[in-house]
Amino acid sequence: MSEEVLVQVKDLKMHFPIRAGLFNRTVGAVKAVDGISFDIMKGETLGLVGESGCGKTTAGRAILHLYRPTGGEVSFKGTDLAKESPEGLRRTRRHMQMIFQDPYASLNPQMRVGEIIGRPLRVHGLVKSAPEEKDRVTELMQQVGLNVSYRDRFPHEFSGGQRQRIGIARALATSPDFIVCDEAISALDVSIQAQIINLLEQLRDELGLTYLFIAHDLSMVRYISTRVGVMYLGKMMELASSDALYEEPRHPYTRALLSAIPIPDPPLERQRQRMLLEGDLPSPANPPKGCRFSTRCPMATDLCRAVEPEFREVATRHWAACHFA
Amino acid sequence: MIQAVPPASMEAMETSVSNFAPLEGGLQPEPALLEVRDLTTKFYTVDGVVNALNGISYSVRKGECLAIVGESGSGKTVGVLSILRLIQSPPGKIVGGSISFKGTDLLKLDDNALRDIRGGAISVIFQDPMTSLNPVMRVGAQITENIMAHEALTRRQARDKAIEMLSRVGIPTPAKRVDDYPHQFSGGMRQRVMIAMALSCSPQLIIADEPTTALDVTIQAQIVELVKKLQSELGTAVIWISHDLGVVARLADRVAVMYAGHIVESAPVDELYARPAHPYTIGLLNSLPRLDAKVKTKLQAIGGLPPNLLGELRGCPFAPRCAFATDICRAQNPALLEVTPSHGVACWHDRLTGGRA
Repeated sequence: MSEEVLVQVKDLKMHFPIRAGLFNRTVGAVKAVDGISFDIMKGETLGLVGESGCGKTTAGRAILHLYRPTGGEVSFKGTDLAKESPEGLRRTRRHMQMIFQDPYASLNPQMRVGEIIGRPLRVHGLVKSAPEEKDRVTELMQQVGLNVSYRDRFPHEFSGGQRQRIGIARALATSPDFIVCDEAISALDVSIQAQIINLLEQLRDELGLTYLFIAHDLSMVRYISTRVGVMYLGKMMELASSDALYEEPRHPYTRALLSAIPIPDPPLERQRQRMLLEGDLPSPANPPKGCRFSTRCPMATDLCRAVEPEFREVATRHWAACHFA
Repeated sequence: MIQAVPPASMEAMETSVSNFAPLEGGLQPEPALLEVRDLTTKFYTVDGVVNALNGISYSVRKGECLAIVGESGSGKTVGVLSILRLIQSPPGKIVGGSISFKGTDLLKLDDNALRDIRGGAISVIFQDPMTSLNPVMRVGAQITENIMAHEALTRRQARDKAIEMLSRVGIPTPAKRVDDYPHQFSGGMRQRVMIAMALSCSPQLIIADEPTTALDVTIQAQIVELVKKLQSELGTAVIWISHDLGVVARLADRVAVMYAGHIVESAPVDELYARPAHPYTIGLLNSLPRLDAKVKTKLQAIGGLPPNLLGELRGCPFAPRCAFATDICRAQNPALLEVTPSHGVACWHDRLTGGRA
């Protein structure tokens, strides 16, 4: 990992209006992402974890400006994306791609695999002729381990793992620097997940890619990420190197999350102490006052319920948003 | 059924003695609560016959938790839904085998007798609580309906019992929540309602079909602990279907691993994780990253894909993906045999004894 910042996220906010009534008036907002800040270094894999509804997917999309953020700033290689013209943003997007969760829904069922992978090349004017496009598609298919003779097949003829390879080849087509992997392996079977993870790692090392790896599987995130951020109800709770986060978690939510993950080792599992969280995730439309985690936190005090803790550096390159971290 | 094979060595003989003593606690072995033999289910589709379940045999003892592990399409769900004949027919059909529950063959029961068992002595918790609860019926009414179908109680008594069950599974203010609709509950709470319903007639066996797959990890942990607690309090046997080897490690007493409609390995939980013998089980365990891993070791992915179950398969279904496969593997499917006491493997070259081929 270098010290060069590739993507800088500052106080990013993404609120979705709630409309109701006869005149469709805005009556509130779902604060899906509510002010998160972090840097992504060139060559690193930043993992983003949290439970459903914590805003991790929205954060990934807002970083690519697939949504126009409600507030805050995202800069890519020093350029503020919000200030880009639509044409400029399109050009910048060439360098920022996305791999989606559902390999069934994210591929056009009416397009052949060759067309799906070749489309970004044409959109961005990266190839000048049909034979050139064909060569590049061949190269991409080989890179992700797809049989080149399947170029004229349709997505439904492939298994989930192979479809995810098609999605990866499409993301790689424009030779991006930065790829957001949004739950890219969640829909796959265990034995196939490892295949895709190994492929993503191999591509990262060969092509010098930077990943934002969004997932809810903490074991997989620890495995692939250099640093990990933990989100809860639209806020970043903790951010540290993978090892620091898993060995010395500072935030009680991170500790609870880690203790909830079962380890495939029965004698160890019997000894492990569970830190069970009470209750469910509060609604992001109406987050608790003070610290968002205070309603489920076993350590919460009056201070937590009144004052929202600052996201601060509690140890070198280890940030946490907790009064007691 | 599992046949006994002479132990490969004296060492194995010794383990057999020491293994058996504490297991039975000096008592006579109890007959199994559920005994499934050679169960075979096929689906007759327009594309041909799908061999979803190819003669599986297993047993569940009173109060124990058997986990059935496998990937999508391995037949784990079909295998347990066949127990209650919940396979949609057509296209599905149970074509062979027997399912003995406390001595009665469930496959020979008429529909009325089977209905008494469903939701009574054997109940099911399904994966997705949103689609398995009736959205236009109050949860209390749904639980009460089940209780009144099986027990001679008045509506009032059944309702009180429903409230008691909701309280037992940890739903706050159950007397109020009993009149709520399913959509008024969160995902984890809905699954608790499903569990309350499944427990309402004091079943002897609960079939839990991936009950935590749709839930977040912190909620999953709550549900797993709840099931563990209720199981030890009530002495109910559980068949827990899962693809998550972590959850299984936490919950199960014994594990059966399924692949392509076969049970390929079956062993007590500690034994299976410590000494996996089938190459597929080993592959599965090696393809998982461990949360507590201090040193990063590269994931060993299993190459290739599970076979298509359309049409007859020749040989061992795992052979095309197996590093140890030889000619016999491609020609003949190995039977599930005990290689050490209570550890069954269906492999010509199992990694524990070196194999039988």
